[in-house]
Amino acid sequence: MEKKDVDKIRQNFLGELEKAEDVKARKKICKRYIEEELSSIFASLKHLSGEKKKEVGIAANELRKLIDEQKKSQKKKEEEGERIDVTLPGTRVELGTIHPLTELRKKCERIFSRMGFVIAEGPEMESEWYNFDALNFKEDHPVREMQDTLFIKQEKREKLSSREKLLMRTHTSPMQVRYMEKTKPPLRIVVPGRVFRNEATDSSHEINFYQIEGLMVGEDVSVANFKAVIESFFRQLFEGSVNIRLRPSYFPFTEPSFEVDVSCSICEGGGCSVCSRTGWTEIMGAGMVHPNVLESANVDSSKFKGFAFGMGLDRVAVIDHKIDDIRLFYGGDLRFLKQF
Amino acid sequence: MKFSYDFLQSFFKEKLPTPDDLADLLMMHFFEVEEVSKEGKDFVIDIDILSSRAGDCLSHLGVAREIAAITGKKLHYPASKPKEGKSRIEEDIGIDIRNACSRYLLSGVEGIKIKKSPEYIQRRLKTCGLKPINNVVDVVNYVMLETGQPLHAFDAEKIEGNKITVRFAKKREKIVTLDEKRLELNENILVIADQQSSVGVAGIKGGIVPEVDKDTKKIYLEAANFDSKVIRRGSRDIGIRTDASLRFEYGVPCQFAEIATERALSLLAEIAGGKVMKGRLDYYPKKEEERSISFEAKEVRDILGAEIPLERMEKILRSLGFKTRRDNSSFLVEVPFFRKDIERKEDIVEEIGRIYGYENIEATCPEEPVVVSHSKEKDDIEDACRELWRGLGFSESYNYSFINNDDAEFYSKQNLLEVEKPVSLEFKYLRPSLLPGLLKNLAKNEKNFQEIRMFEIGKVFSKKREGETSEKKRFSAISSGDDFYQMKGKVNAFLEKLFEGSISYSPEDKEGIFKKGYSANILLKGEKVGTIGEVSEKAKNKMRVKSGGVLVDLDFEKLTQLYKERKIYEPIPKFPSLIRDLSVLVPKETDYIQVEEKIRKSGGKTLKNLTLFDLYEGDEIGKDKKSFAFRMHFQDKGKTLSAETVNNLQEKIIKALDDVSGWKVRKK
Repeated sequence: MEKKDVDKIRQNFLGELEKAEDVKARKKICKRYIEEELSSIFASLKHLSGEKKKEVGIAANELRKLIDEQKKSQKKKEEEGERIDVTLPGTRVELGTIHPLTELRKKCERIFSRMGFVIAEGPEMESEWYNFDALNFKEDHPVREMQDTLFIKQEKREKLSSREKLLMRTHTSPMQVRYMEKTKPPLRIVVPGRVFRNEATDSSHEINFYQIEGLMVGEDVSVANFKAVIESFFRQLFEGSVNIRLRPSYFPFTEPSFEVDVSCSICEGGGCSVCSRTGWTEIMGAGMVHPNVLESANVDSSKFKGFAFGMGLDRVAVIDHKIDDIRLFYGGDLRFLKQF
Repeated sequence: MKFSYDFLQSFFKEKLPTPDDLADLLMMHFFEVEEVSKEGKDFVIDIDILSSRAGDCLSHLGVAREIAAITGKKLHYPASKPKEGKSRIEEDIGIDIRNACSRYLLSGVEGIKIKKSPEYIQRRLKTCGLKPINNVVDVVNYVMLETGQPLHAFDAEKIEGNKITVRFAKKREKIVTLDEKRLELNENILVIADQQSSVGVAGIKGGIVPEVDKDTKKIYLEAANFDSKVIRRGSRDIGIRTDASLRFEYGVPCQFAEIATERALSLLAEIAGGKVMKGRLDYYPKKEEERSISFEAKEVRDILGAEIPLERMEKILRSLGFKTRRDNSSFLVEVPFFRKDIERKEDIVEEIGRIYGYENIEATCPEEPVVVSHSKEKDDIEDACRELWRGLGFSESYNYSFINNDDAEFYSKQNLLEVEKPVSLEFKYLRPSLLPGLLKNLAKNEKNFQEIRMFEIGKVFSKKREGETSEKKRFSAISSGDDFYQMKGKVNAFLEKLFEGSISYSPEDKEGIFKKGYSANILLKGEKVGTIGEVSEKAKNKMRVKSGGVLVDLDFEKLTQLYKERKIYEPIPKFPSLIRDLSVLVPKETDYIQVEEKIRKSGGKTLKNLTLFDLYEGDEIGKDKKSFAFRMHFQDKGKTLSAETVNNLQEKIIKALDDVSGWKVRKK
């Protein structure tokens, strides 16, 4: 063993350290050099003498010092841990989105479910009978025409009965009768769904839009009950202490009929542009189910009564998300949809 | 309708609330007030009178009656008893009513001096949006605004012959209206005619011939009641809608004719210096019967859910013009003739409820039992789909339920349902599929997004033959960021997660929206539930899609039937599995599924899992060949498999594959 051999070992050591991948590997190298290389150098010292022994001894001691220092610094590094640049961006995951009208519908459904309402669904293409006749729309009453109904082309239409004449439902109310034909009261249902009006589209009108219909029928159901249910609904929907008020209105299928206003959630009744400075927003049509409607579904109107309501979901979503054009809902523009 | 605040005040001696306060009261107890605005010294109160009350409330008197009921103030209506002159109307003219008229009341006034009407009449007309013309025309309009009964005045000296007839127009009969429009009529349109020609379109617009002008001395005043359907149709046919036709369309109570006539005659005598002719010509064949309704106070309280005192109920009904008789808590009420909307006791409940005030009804929780439904909720399945596809990066879209002519080219016309008179040709047919909508979404988003992934759940419509229509719910998705196999992988994951049954695919060879050779039928439990495939070139061109993409279209109702409601636990394997790899060389045109089926058949139940981990095509193996590399997992539920058993199985598989001509296993 000569000094140059020790120097060679020293170089090997440094070379291996540099190539090592991590702290763990470097520590292993240190350990190996101490246990194997250093001990054999020191063991060989006893065969040397004089100047040579001194020379190799100094080199060996320096090597030991170097390895010890490396060992210490590796240990220290290990304690501190290595770091990566955590500020680099992560690998992007593109999640999809659910349509805002779906989200709102779900929210309404959840609230009504908690209050014991069952969720039902009806056909979008309806017979004239369910859409109008069964709901006490008198034949030839101008109200029928005012609904801007989308009729389906049928051969010899004028010869068909109103149960055969097809149209796109103008409201979700036909489901009141359809449901009661199958399920006798007491009952509570909500019917969300797409409805249609044959009118030109603009920022606040669409040819198709969404409603949620509600119906509660039993032997003892009153306007006072309606107020309690609907107040609770709106307080949960708008997550706050909104107030409601009923104003007289007219619908053929309810008597009495009301418009339901909620105190404007934006200005909290103070008056702003959304509520046209009245502090109230008209949000829902409602009323006590007309006896003729119950009779249409073969429900005994002398025994049962109930309330029904219908609310436009698009309108609520527009207010909720501050959307200025209802057509965005049906435009399929991802720049819009991705925001939800 | 626009109401004059000053006009309404004229029915009350007491001061009314301020216009804004009055509007608030009307809003809460009557109908919606659209606007209150100042008009000179007067105020316009614009009230949205709904059809149920159009009969009696398209009039100031009607609304004043409501105000009286709401505020408790007393209503005063001026009594009209016009003084009559000597000449008798029946010696002058006769009436002949032939069609569509339930009342025709004609009176006459002589010695009229045409001039401007008094300031208060002009002002109130202006507030209501009408232009003052002269005293006769103004009175006609003013009394209509007051009572709701449309009136018409003819210059008596311009009437030819001695008879006024109400009849349907002759085919192509012509008339020039007061505003000098030339009209060609048809046999559905009702006219007023003298013995020479028609002198007015009944209930809609007067004719120019007997116009009241500055030289008019004598008039006939018409207060009639025409059939609402006939007027509605006539008005639509000639494209003219007037204050009069609007009222007739909704229906005017017949009794208004004499109230309005007497009121107008009194005013004409007063402000036009006229002498009212003796007698009235009155065609009124069928008088309405008085109607009464009986009810119990309890019924009212039960429906409203409020303890309204008996006296309060009585007072409300009287203030609205009902005559009431009460025996303790049993009511018998006579419905005023002008309230055609009141038919049954629920209508009475509404009257009591709204005047009492819905704000005074206290909210009370229902005591009705809750009935829980046990039915499978379609809605839950829909939501599970939405959540899953959202997780896969797809955004939910809502498209129109309609398609246009271009879109319709992909479908056979006889199966499409067509819309009658759509507002736009974009909405000509009901959509038979969700795909055209999604393709349009793709085209729209291409310029802003590199990878577009969207889906829709919605109803589609079709007809098999005349009279047999269908409405079905579908799920469709589109992706420009996945190739066929990536999309297929997603569909598989979706179907496996939510639905029962084995999934398989078979080539679909029709070219349409899907590209031929690049699309497949999706089968669940052996039944077709949908299609997956690339967008065809034709569809790309038609829908102006540049990049192309992969489409999936699934029958949601079939899926619903196969929804995994309950998951049954399968025990976790106790014994280890052994793995073997093998690759097999087959001709290029061989479908993968044939190879897979061969391996599975030979491997039997012990072959738990088979995955393709490599597909290789290259010159080294021959141009007309391809190589599949499989990894096979062998496992037995009951015991640890020996290497020998597995080796034997593997040999069996290799032999089965090698036995197929053209196939060759390349062992590792």
